[in-house]
Amino acid sequence: MRLLLIEDDDILGEGLRDYLRAEGHAVDWFRDLRHADAARGEPFDAWLLDWQLPDGSGLEWLRTRRARGETTPALMLTARDRLNDRVTSLDSGADDYLIKPFAPEELAARLRAVCRRSAGAADARVHVGTVVVDLHARAACRDGERVDLTAREWALLEALALRSGRIVLKGELERLVHGFDSEIASNALEVHISSLRKKLGRAVIGTVRGLGYRLDDTGP
Amino acid sequence: MSSGAPMPPALPHPDDAPGGAAGAAVPSGSPPSIRRRLARAMLVGSLLSGLAVAVAVWLAAIEEVDELLDDTLQASAEVMRSLLPSNGEPIVVAAPTRSDERFAWQVVDASHRVVMRSPRAPTEPFVPHQLAGFADSARWRVFGVALGNGTRILYVAQTRAERSETQFEVAISSVLAALAVGILAYFWLSALVRHEWAPVQRLSDRLASHEPFAAGATLGVAERAELQAVHRSVDQLGQRLALRLAHERAFTAQAAHALRTPLAGIDAQLAMCLREGSPAQQPRLQRVREAAGRLQRVVAALLTLFRSDAEPVRDTIELAELLRQSADERVRVDVQATLPVRADPDLFAAALANLLDNAQRHGAAHVTVSTPALDTVRLDDDGPGASPERRTALQAALDAQAYDGVSGLGLTLADLVARAHGGRLRLPAPRDGRGFAVELSFGSPAQG
Repeated sequence: MRLLLIEDDDILGEGLRDYLRAEGHAVDWFRDLRHADAARGEPFDAWLLDWQLPDGSGLEWLRTRRARGETTPALMLTARDRLNDRVTSLDSGADDYLIKPFAPEELAARLRAVCRRSAGAADARVHVGTVVVDLHARAACRDGERVDLTAREWALLEALALRSGRIVLKGELERLVHGFDSEIASNALEVHISSLRKKLGRAVIGTVRGLGYRLDDTGP
Repeated sequence: MSSGAPMPPALPHPDDAPGGAAGAAVPSGSPPSIRRRLARAMLVGSLLSGLAVAVAVWLAAIEEVDELLDDTLQASAEVMRSLLPSNGEPIVVAAPTRSDERFAWQVVDASHRVVMRSPRAPTEPFVPHQLAGFADSARWRVFGVALGNGTRILYVAQTRAERSETQFEVAISSVLAALAVGILAYFWLSALVRHEWAPVQRLSDRLASHEPFAAGATLGVAERAELQAVHRSVDQLGQRLALRLAHERAFTAQAAHALRTPLAGIDAQLAMCLREGSPAQQPRLQRVREAAGRLQRVVAALLTLFRSDAEPVRDTIELAELLRQSADERVRVDVQATLPVRADPDLFAAALANLLDNAQRHGAAHVTVSTPALDTVRLDDDGPGASPERRTALQAALDAQAYDGVSGLGLTLADLVARAHGGRLRLPAPRDGRGFAVELSFGSPAQG
């Protein structure tokens, strides 16, 4: 998944960025709202927001975004632990709320849950023919056999599975998988798509010529 | 953090009211009641003044009646003298028409013999010597006047008993009236005090429901001039407290941020270290992470517990769910909960995490969580436990809130959490005599 992380604390920000990257996500980390706003319009699967930031309130930022109709799932990461704060943040459009300190493992699990809910996938599994993409277990099976995927391949498959049934533009998919930071070879996406097709079967990922790719949930 | 760390004692203890088992020095019995004292003073005052008036009236009545009767006696004598023949001829005296004739009379001659008398009068003269004016004998009050040439004397007399009876009747009715006025005054004053006391009672009711921290909170207009000072003082106190609370809130929010964020950072960095570190480093990194986890639980508990508005917000605790969430891999936990537990979830989680941590550090590998009573949670571990003497000493230290005598933050925190709910932490004898048992009661929700 491609994640937007806004956190002003260097140690925490860096730790979370590295941990989530190691989990196979593309993470764009900003230390303040001004820089995060520069990434407006970028496709993200989720926003991870600190509440108190040097140039404003993460919650206010979220409220503004929600008012504009943006529905990207948002998780608040904050030191505020009062019931009131939790209620306010959920009412302001946050999908979940984690009180610092938290284990990065829990953050990763909640992220999956939030994205699953936002994708409307109740059982967290997307079926394409005999291939099952399990978003919860972060694994893919073909004919009941687990398929070994690299982190990049999984990120790609997950990005498509979370948007099953709609066309994902090529540029959007590249940014979803790599984020801003990584240097990407121009044909990297095609390389990963083709290796995914090799492992899962050609029909799993459809090409929409000149636009991008799509993955269709055929149901169990 | 050692057990000797300073602990603010200022947590609310809602059950320190009557009935609470607090060891604090509470004066025994209730203080004297102003109303009761006033009522007693008024009762005594009214009766005494009634009595004083009664005595004065008694004396005055006796004196006045005495004079009145004397005047009557004298007047009767004068009337009779003018009627009696002055030449010494005997006169016919009509028989008395009433047996209770008030007057008796005699005419005594110069040789002191009774020459005429009324039927009730004795045959002997009223007085032993001829005497004009008032005189007293054993039975009679006598008034004598000289008749004619002065050789004879007319005595008009009244029995002393009759006079006394009249005096007594007049005096007693006056005294009873005075006493009745005293008693009526008592009831009137009592009613007045009750009426004037009502504003104080209403003020105390208002104070009971007063929320000094609410925006613009004041007690309103005082009902009596004397209460204005109380209103002013309470309002000023409320403002001072609200200001201080606002400062403390701002401070705890900053402190929470300053403590929580680096802790989260440490954990995230350690999680990465564990991923990247060599297998040889794993056990050591794992231990560091466990220590960081313990630090997190303690800090979270302290921040929750010592935030300045630590009013517990009760909710029904899902014990099994909570224990699943706060799973500590180092200690196995069995839940045998049958009764609901209503407590502040944050405070409860903090207490539980630190108790489990405590159990693990004291050598337990397995903890059973049960609910022996409503709003009560008991933890039994399989550690080496403590001797009965040590347990008694610990319980005494917890009861007195002398946390210096309690080793480990777990028990201290759990006790503070229980007290914040109006409950207590108890250390019952372990089942089967093995291990260590802790019982957290959270009081009744009505208190919390």
